[in-house]
Amino acid sequence: MQLLQISNVVRRQNKLTTTRTATDFLVYDRTLGVAAMEFRGFYYPVDLAINKEGRIYGLNRSHEGDPRGVRICMFDYDSNYFGAFGSVGEEDGQFTWATSIAIDREGLVYVSDEYTDRISIFDSEGNYLRKWGEHGDMPGQIDGPASMAFDNDDNLLISDHRNNRIQKFTKDGRYVSSFGKEGEGDGEFNLPWGVTVSSSGDLYVVDWRNDRIQRFTSDGEFKSKYCESGSDEGQLNRPASVAVDKSGHMYVADMGNDRVQVFDPDGGFVMTLEGQATVSPWAQEFLDASPTEASARYESDLRVALNARTGGTYEKRSHIEHLFWAPISVKLDLEGKIYVTDRNRHRVQVYRRV
Amino acid sequence: MGLRDTKLMAHLLRRAGFGATHIELEDYLQKGYEATVESLLYPTDSDHMPEDIIRRYHVDQSELRQYDAAAANWMYRMITSKSPLEEKIALFWHSLFATGYSKLNQARSLLNQIDMFRQNGLGRFDTLLLELSRDPAMIIWLDNDQNHRDAINENYGRELLELFSMGIGNYTEEDIKECARAFTGWTLGNVEYMAMRASKDSIWPYGRIAWHFGYRPEDHDDGEKTFLGETGNFNGEDIIDIISKNDASARFVATRLFQFFAADEIDDEGEKVVEKMMESYFESGYEIRSIIRTLFNSDYFKSGKARYARVKCPVEQVIGTIRLAGSYQKPDLGVNEVASQAFYMGQGLLIPPTVEGWHEGAEWIDSGALVERVNFAANELRKTKESGVRSIIDRMSVQNGHALTPNEIVDLSLDLLGSVDVGENTRTALVQHVREKGDVDLRNTSPGDESERRVGELLSLIASSPEFQMA
Repeated sequence: MQLLQISNVVRRQNKLTTTRTATDFLVYDRTLGVAAMEFRGFYYPVDLAINKEGRIYGLNRSHEGDPRGVRICMFDYDSNYFGAFGSVGEEDGQFTWATSIAIDREGLVYVSDEYTDRISIFDSEGNYLRKWGEHGDMPGQIDGPASMAFDNDDNLLISDHRNNRIQKFTKDGRYVSSFGKEGEGDGEFNLPWGVTVSSSGDLYVVDWRNDRIQRFTSDGEFKSKYCESGSDEGQLNRPASVAVDKSGHMYVADMGNDRVQVFDPDGGFVMTLEGQATVSPWAQEFLDASPTEASARYESDLRVALNARTGGTYEKRSHIEHLFWAPISVKLDLEGKIYVTDRNRHRVQVYRRV
Repeated sequence: MGLRDTKLMAHLLRRAGFGATHIELEDYLQKGYEATVESLLYPTDSDHMPEDIIRRYHVDQSELRQYDAAAANWMYRMITSKSPLEEKIALFWHSLFATGYSKLNQARSLLNQIDMFRQNGLGRFDTLLLELSRDPAMIIWLDNDQNHRDAINENYGRELLELFSMGIGNYTEEDIKECARAFTGWTLGNVEYMAMRASKDSIWPYGRIAWHFGYRPEDHDDGEKTFLGETGNFNGEDIIDIISKNDASARFVATRLFQFFAADEIDDEGEKVVEKMMESYFESGYEIRSIIRTLFNSDYFKSGKARYARVKCPVEQVIGTIRLAGSYQKPDLGVNEVASQAFYMGQGLLIPPTVEGWHEGAEWIDSGALVERVNFAANELRKTKESGVRSIIDRMSVQNGHALTPNEIVDLSLDLLGSVDVGENTRTALVQHVREKGDVDLRNTSPGDESERRVGELLSLIASSPEFQMA
């Protein structure tokens, strides 16, 4: 009976925090996941990919030096869990500094590792198939694969970040082409991170330390750039990821500002998401099983305002649990729902268009 | 600039920082001794490895949930800081106000405490004590969250007087009780939930929630108190005012600073410096910076008596060696292991053994710790591809147009490792070692060549010497 009461209390909190945004462009939908070092849940998740059947593959980078945690957790929008695969190490099917995950047309799962500079490939059930990738700065060699995306020809684009370029490979790792070099000019990068391909075939690259998004043709010709450094609306601070929907709207994980910003197809500011996490079904199960902790949680004011002297947004997010803290990846599903990987909170927050 | 100036500057940087490379020493010498002291006391160049870079690669150092990630984060700061005294004073206060992860399960709050030491560690002692009393990690560590108006807990009050300010013998048991009463109501926000999560080491559902100070006036004992002979309706701030103006506090602070920055043991001459430091304490309004300035500019500190009069603590040994070698200048897998190395030598950052901190001085070195110290330093300085070692080799290679004799390369190595002084026995042994394989020719060499490997080996031997264990 006590468990039931606590569940109801927490669910009531959920309802209260599910509010519409000011612009009514996006609404908060739900939170997925729970902090967990093994099996079901997340441990420093850095990216996710969603296949045609709606299965979600959440990539966990984990705590350095901890043999647990590194894995890909398979689940879906309804919080059904399908198992996990992968582990820490440099053997086949293992990762050291896992960075990104992508799925090709056949449903095969690709995982990049910026420590070993290789791409590992698994089938949709997580069985290891093969790997490719070689360290270096020559064409076709890689130094820090930070992000991956398949283009409309099913070739794999890799943000080769320490080489400050985007490289294109066939799915079996054959080098096709590359563009970009170190710098601040058009078509130049400073440690690029997220890369994505729009439905029109344009490539969008998150130029991490230049605090901007650059857009290219499918052949790598510069088209435009968006945003500048800062923390005001429309400005970016060390962005990590971008997703582009069918209408061309951009969703940017503005990680240094601990927020997601939405821009129209021309780069005009639309809105900011600060994070509105609620108790996920997996989190709810934990609280149901821990009634004293759940009760203490309910009695607390977790939205407490802080003395500003303790620091900026990063410090604030460490104190206020429902807000994004290091949102590192933004991905869309086939229906256009937006999945934000909320790294330091070990969860995914989902938004949807109105 | 003469050899004497170089030796003195190297001595200052071993104490005010973690030692200096030969290139850094040249820059400091251009500035001059007193000006260098001032620049160290007023750190304006807060350049260090940027946090955005660290957080991108070390995801665990972004959340800072566990102590090893937090310790590694501090290690990066110490390795790459251009303001070494800012880190050194934080290390000093961490040793004195020792707060540990084992009870907190909240590394982030510990690192926030270290940041507080950076910000206040050279400022006024009363301000520092006030911040310490409001510090969430300290509140949980010494149970002030359980110090209530109707049921006091003396733990923080006792340690504030005994270990943090005046020292035993300068107050009564009644003073401790009155002190504790004054700090009732000083706690955390959401303290019940936070204390429960700490005790259960809970990361669920969404990781740690950082702590913040909370004052509960309804739980504060506002009644009259008598403390160190003064009576009033004291709150914690009043207690700190009374503590700070006490002679015992001045002596305590001056003594501990002397032992950390000058010499493990205080002789008669050292005692006179301590008294001067106490005068600076009062004249400056309890300012730590002024006390340290008095010490660094004293004849005692500049004299031979203070040279190599302290055993390097493990963190000094690890950081000093890495700064010389030039490793870990970029995010690298294994930095958590660097923090562990200091632990193996007896000093685990953020995990002091007790509230009394570490037993320092000669106690740093037992046979096990010595092996760890020597092995670590020797391995680091053998890395001929790292920028610091390369810089030493490059400098050696342009010193002479001929192969270096054993005497020449030993003297050059000692000089380029930050002007290290060694005894005659050590120097003879080093020269003899080089002589076994003859002169070292560094003309047109590259990393991995035999002659460069021999330089790495010589640097490793110097790092293994008894003198290298001293600051």
